[in-house]
Amino acid sequence: MAVIAPNFTITQTHADVTRDVVATLERPSRGYYLALFGAVGLFLIGLVTFAILLRDGLGHAGYTPPVMWAVYITTFVFWVGIGHAGTLISAILFLFRSPWRTAVYRATEAMTVFAVMTAGLFPIIHIGRQWIFYWLLPYPNQRYLWPNFKSPLMWDVFAISTYLTVSTTFLIFGLIPDVAAVRDKVTGWRKFIYSQLSLGWQGTDTQWRHYSRAYLYLAALATPLVLSVHSVVSWDFASGIVPGWHGTIFAPYFVAGAIYSGIGMVLTLLIPLRKSLRLEHMITEYHFDNLAKLTLLTGCILFYSYGMEYFVAWYSGNTFEQTTFFLRPFGPDWWAGWSMIICNAFVSQLLWFKKIRTNLTALFVISIFINIGMWFERYVIISSSLTNDYIPWAWDHRLNPTWADWGILAGSFGWFGMYFLLFARNFPIVAIQEIKEMIPMPRRRAPGGHH
Amino acid sequence: MRKTALVAGAAVLASLVALLIFGTPSGAQQQKSTAADSARVYVLDAADTASLRGPRQPIFFRHDLHAGQYKMECQYCHYSVAVAPEPGIPSLQTCMGCHAVVGGSDSTNRAEIAKLRKAFSENKPVEWVRIHFLARHVHFPHSQHIKALGPSACATCHGDVTRMPQVFQVNNVNNMGFCISCHIERKVTRDCTTCHY
Amino acid sequence: MPEDVQNQGIDRRKFLTVLGATSGGAIALSGCSTSRVEKLIPYLVQSEDQVPGVPTYYASTCTECASGCGVHVKTREGRAIKLEGNPAHPVNRGKLCARGQASLQGLYNPGRVRGPMLRTGGTLKPISWDDAIARLAAEVGKAGGRVAAISGAGRGTFSDLLAEWVGAIGGRVTRYEPFDHEPMRLANRQVFGTDELPAHDFGKARFIISFGADFLDTWLSPMEGQRGFSQSHGFSERGMARHVYIGPRMSMTGLNADEWVSVTPGSEVALALAMANVLLGAGGAPADAGGLRGALAGYTPADASRETGLPAATIERLAREFGTAGPGLAVAGGIATQDRHAVELCAAVNILNYVAGNIGQTVRFGAELPAADGYQGVAGLMAAMDAGQVGLLLVHEANPVYTLPHAAGFEARLRKVPFKVSTSLYLDETAALCDLLIPNLHPLERWDDTRPGAGLYGLMQPVMEPVFPTMGEVPSVTHTGMPGTYMESPAAVVGISTGDVLLRVAKKAGGPLSRFTAATFEAYLKDAWRGLAGEQGGAGDFDTFWREALARGGVYGERPVTEVRLASGLSPARYARPAFDGDGEFIFAPFPHSFLYDGRGTNRPWLLENPDPVTKITWHSWVEVSPATARRLDVERGEMVRLVSPHGAVEAPIWVYDGLRDDVIAMPTGFGHTEYGQYAKGRGANALDLLGAPGDTPFVPYLSTRVRVEKLNTWMAVATTEGTPRQLGRGIAEAMPLAAAARGLTVKQAYREAAGVAEGEEHPVTEIAAIKGWRAEQIEMRKLGDYVVAQPSWGMSIDLARCTGCSACVTACYAENNIPTVGYDEVLRGREMSWMRIERYWEGGEQTGQPLQARFVPMLCQHCENAPCEPVCPVYAAYHTADGLNGQVYNRCVGTRYCGNNCPYKVRYFNWYKYNERAFPEPLNLQLNPDVTVRARGVMEKCTMCVQRIRGMQHQARLEDRAIKDGEFMTACAQACPSDAIVFGDMRDPASRVARIRQDPRGYHVLEDLNTRPAITYLAKVLHGAEA
Repeated sequence: MAVIAPNFTITQTHADVTRDVVATLERPSRGYYLALFGAVGLFLIGLVTFAILLRDGLGHAGYTPPVMWAVYITTFVFWVGIGHAGTLISAILFLFRSPWRTAVYRATEAMTVFAVMTAGLFPIIHIGRQWIFYWLLPYPNQRYLWPNFKSPLMWDVFAISTYLTVSTTFLIFGLIPDVAAVRDKVTGWRKFIYSQLSLGWQGTDTQWRHYSRAYLYLAALATPLVLSVHSVVSWDFASGIVPGWHGTIFAPYFVAGAIYSGIGMVLTLLIPLRKSLRLEHMITEYHFDNLAKLTLLTGCILFYSYGMEYFVAWYSGNTFEQTTFFLRPFGPDWWAGWSMIICNAFVSQLLWFKKIRTNLTALFVISIFINIGMWFERYVIISSSLTNDYIPWAWDHRLNPTWADWGILAGSFGWFGMYFLLFARNFPIVAIQEIKEMIPMPRRRAPGGHH
Repeated sequence: MRKTALVAGAAVLASLVALLIFGTPSGAQQQKSTAADSARVYVLDAADTASLRGPRQPIFFRHDLHAGQYKMECQYCHYSVAVAPEPGIPSLQTCMGCHAVVGGSDSTNRAEIAKLRKAFSENKPVEWVRIHFLARHVHFPHSQHIKALGPSACATCHGDVTRMPQVFQVNNVNNMGFCISCHIERKVTRDCTTCHY
Repeated sequence: MPEDVQNQGIDRRKFLTVLGATSGGAIALSGCSTSRVEKLIPYLVQSEDQVPGVPTYYASTCTECASGCGVHVKTREGRAIKLEGNPAHPVNRGKLCARGQASLQGLYNPGRVRGPMLRTGGTLKPISWDDAIARLAAEVGKAGGRVAAISGAGRGTFSDLLAEWVGAIGGRVTRYEPFDHEPMRLANRQVFGTDELPAHDFGKARFIISFGADFLDTWLSPMEGQRGFSQSHGFSERGMARHVYIGPRMSMTGLNADEWVSVTPGSEVALALAMANVLLGAGGAPADAGGLRGALAGYTPADASRETGLPAATIERLAREFGTAGPGLAVAGGIATQDRHAVELCAAVNILNYVAGNIGQTVRFGAELPAADGYQGVAGLMAAMDAGQVGLLLVHEANPVYTLPHAAGFEARLRKVPFKVSTSLYLDETAALCDLLIPNLHPLERWDDTRPGAGLYGLMQPVMEPVFPTMGEVPSVTHTGMPGTYMESPAAVVGISTGDVLLRVAKKAGGPLSRFTAATFEAYLKDAWRGLAGEQGGAGDFDTFWREALARGGVYGERPVTEVRLASGLSPARYARPAFDGDGEFIFAPFPHSFLYDGRGTNRPWLLENPDPVTKITWHSWVEVSPATARRLDVERGEMVRLVSPHGAVEAPIWVYDGLRDDVIAMPTGFGHTEYGQYAKGRGANALDLLGAPGDTPFVPYLSTRVRVEKLNTWMAVATTEGTPRQLGRGIAEAMPLAAAARGLTVKQAYREAAGVAEGEEHPVTEIAAIKGWRAEQIEMRKLGDYVVAQPSWGMSIDLARCTGCSACVTACYAENNIPTVGYDEVLRGREMSWMRIERYWEGGEQTGQPLQARFVPMLCQHCENAPCEPVCPVYAAYHTADGLNGQVYNRCVGTRYCGNNCPYKVRYFNWYKYNERAFPEPLNLQLNPDVTVRARGVMEKCTMCVQRIRGMQHQARLEDRAIKDGEFMTACAQACPSDAIVFGDMRDPASRVARIRQDPRGYHVLEDLNTRPAITYLAKVLHGAEA
């Protein structure tokens, strides 16, 4: 019989589950409001910063040519990466029938959507003339002008928009039965809203049949995106000729990194959430243990990729590559280089120990390290590669971020946090339906995973 | 969320583009209006200019008389159109070449020509209101187009001014689509740096 | 609306209304927004040589320094937009230096005095021209005979008028030039009994030895120096001249030398005399040189070696090489060696040249280059001021308060003068102390002429109406002519030049001045030229003569050469160690800034942002110390120090420079203005503050003080455009030994020979294997994009053996392409926009123990056939044109900056702010070239190979149904390059010059292995090896 976790059988009835989950939608704690307030505050900071950039130009940010991309693209890649864990957990693990995803997938899926929403802003923020960003989209016009489909940036546009569409659909679709469940619990105007959102869900057999079939297809649709999207993003760099970017391992390297960072973020979000929403009996140490194992795996892949990058640079005998990779750990920006290597390659190794994997405090701290490390990975790849490329004369203009960079970065966290908190408060953060499916049926044995 | 924003943006944009394309008066309407104007070619009064299309000019200079009725060559006044990127606006001296003698047939004409003579004697250049604009990042060498299309090609872009008592904008020449369509039609270069540098 | 369209249009239209002119301008500059009502303002009377949209050129003469280069002024719709060299002019032959080109920013300078001003109640207040002239007339009357004037070295009809005018009322004119050549003049008097300055033929010399004379940037006649030097020192089948530079610091000229010999400051005299002595011993000296034997007896290489610290062998070698190399040329008299014994040095060098038989060969007397009265004159004037003999002082084209050492005390004395009049165009330090300002017109706005040398008469004509309206009643002759030819002034209205003021005052004041009857200075000038016409045999039809002269830019006769002999009873050359004031441990060597010169260039952003050729520092002053000194003082780049001499102290950041003696501290001139407009005021420190009063020396001894260094423990970011100044073996600026070049080896072959490896072995085997076939494949692939129709393919070649790093091309590029200057803060962030930059890489130097060498590489967009920037642009703003250009469409660019990242040459520049609004405060915006889009913020820009010139010429050719001839037009950089290192043309035309040069074995491409296939071919620099 399906279990939510080994030697942990649900004692509650269907009713209990619904009650507990719906409870999470009731009167929020003061902590919640503080968090929401903080998030909105950060978002406003970002908004003001962007307004100033619009007025004066990008000059306020710390760009120091030849470093033409900096914190904004770094943050863009960071958020795209975050998204991936969600899809991995909700879609791939679904296809692989690994039951432990059930309790966490809703949260991670929401995280995916909001992360991609955040990432989607950056290509617009970072360009020089933001008001004509739509020139990047192919639309028929009498000037007979089309975008350049050879440009990786175009691939980006499509990758991101596709990812956003699919993951959003997936999330909303998964919500339907749960929203219906909530609908039946609440009253007044909220009832009205939820009944609109539940699209007339009655839970009849036919609906269930169609629903689970469609859900399966959506999952199948989302799965390849986990690999494709971040590969495309990695080609933004890999298809350039800049030493430190022009690497064949970039696609797998970035995908692994993405999932790594994504799970890092999942942990950062879930650990406090679980506590504040009192979901300890649904999201258990077992889940965190599994998440940690996943982190360990991807962390090892990263470790390998780092090593491989340095090896190839040395083996190629290419002086440009060698200079770049020598300067990463030993150049003027050594601190960034090392924080990337330590946070990603080394810290994740701690997860070999089950004690740490199951110690939530430790996990939380590690997850923070992971987030920082992964942001720095992108920072290093972008800035250090651009700082010293082919022409020595252009060197030594090192990127030094300014308030404009930090303002937008903060704004992006605010924007993300805002949506996530609102979601957690207004929608079941744990999939009621799928939990129920795990409750042993009194009369006959549960038809192990009938979807 | 972003997606809807994008969609909305795209929609707004599409409508804008549509406006750009169809907003400008089509040839047909154009013919009607000029026909209407030319019907009252001789009865025009300076006061009527408000009712005519196109911006009102400090002096009611009538292309329909000069270029139309008297069949003066465009290049008589727009002297540099065949030799330079810029067509050239006639100096007051050029006007006075005739109007030192020609005083005008009726009271209206006399009044307008009087303005011209006054301006010339007071060394005050007449400030004509500009009708055809081109963005400063576009370079349109008139001479090349005259060379290619012949001296009477002006109408291609400017419309048939010989029938306009008061010149108005027939085509939005500041609209790249307008240029490109012609360049495609005539199979001439569409290299960006032909016009943009 | 895209922001490509900025508000320049409005400003320009305002200006055009001021002109009471033109349709063309208004159209060319019209806005994108149809909502705004624009006006078309026609000419009242059409001037027939101004065709809207077509540039008209007028010949004129540059007055930025005394060498008097001929210029062609490019005007559009009645305003000057660019200065180019006049090919007919013997001095500069169609080339023009950075300072000359920046004269345009003098014309449109925001700091210009807009009209007469009178000091009332302590402050200067605007008054009318009539009042100003009346007041001056009154003051002249009041002053009686107690009138004096100080003016620049410029020599011409005006200076004659001024002299007569002042003379007539019993005063005299002192002609003062800060960096004049007084020591040289005195030495010539001493040795050859003549007062004049000779011409130097660097082109003919096979061995050039310069005793601190920076003949490539600031000494005597730089453009002649550049041209001659590139002829003799540029590699050609007849080999390559040698150049030895002697001085305490390697200046730009020094960096172009094959050998830098640094001797104890002040001991150059001993060296020169010893060399002369050796040559005398070797024989072959002119017969009458024998008389020198006695004089030179005391100067054996051994003695000199003691003084200079050079091995005697070196001295003998130098002497031998100098004597045997064929015509040699020794020059001296630069600021860098102008100590208290500068006259002796020049005399010694004269003797050296004489003994080597160079006089009349490479040193030609009779040229009569302009010289001033030297410091003697100023001293005399100051004495007169002290004695209260000066009731009225007229200051014209001089700024002694700033350009004289503060200790000389000119300012204090000036304050004593009851009434001071300045004709300065800008409120400089001297003008700020004057009581009456009657601003002169800029040379491009006025009638004038100049005599830069015997047989040379340069004309200046008003090529446009005054930027700031003066009382314009002076009618100008009407004239005819076709566009593109050079003719008389187009200006319907000419302003009041100082010449006119003098004549009007003469009329008002009467008395002795009543003999000046000419109505206007133009008339006066013509009268003067009638006389000249007589000499030149053009008296018959003066009008034709005048017309032709104007079209040509003047009258350029042959320079007469006069024979000179050693002065009889030439006193034995005397050498004594020069004295230095103070007891500081370092000798202080101020050196002329290549662009700011004596400080007159400091109000021009083009010159401030153009990096100093040696240090690449922009926008501020600095202090140079040698690495050893830096270690000893424990100071680093950017650390603020205070230099203290007995006469004053200055503060500036440290720059550590290998090309400097350990016992010397150097500092550029031209900074530290206390007035002189928004750009110059309060910028940097004035090196001259450390100098003492010249005392009894008849010139200003710049190398005469010792300084102490005090650490301030504060720091200042040094705005240098230099990144890493080492090539790290990346082969950016290639060089090869003369022997190899002479044998026609390629750079690779030469390298293999030197390294003793066989073909292919210069790369590791693995690499060969890796790129084998792949490269060929790439080159195959490239063909896919080829165009079916035969098109020209524009390309360029840059000869590093000729490039001297003078940076004239940089300013030319700024001027032609409306490149904004970004200022100190942005340069610090590496955001300078210079499409054309001169990279200066070091070879050798202190850390390697090898002698320091510089490699200058002009770096601009390489217009790669296989451009990495093109495929990555999402909107095709960067794309390849059919005629081989790497196009950049500003109005399509959305600013993703991917192209900038992917460009291996780092020659793409991004508009981070609204530079176009900041960089051109009125009226500087009037200098903008209407043929080039003014880029808005948020777009990428870069070198377009002057596509506007290409398209313009193609249009012209099509109108005339003909093909474009090779060399008929060129890019701004190629046009300006004084050493003719840059050649532009159609590479597909096998007959074209550039196509031929690309075949040169020395040719190579930067980062060739990236297979970007650049359209720019560099020719390797050629080095004198151990041979000779």
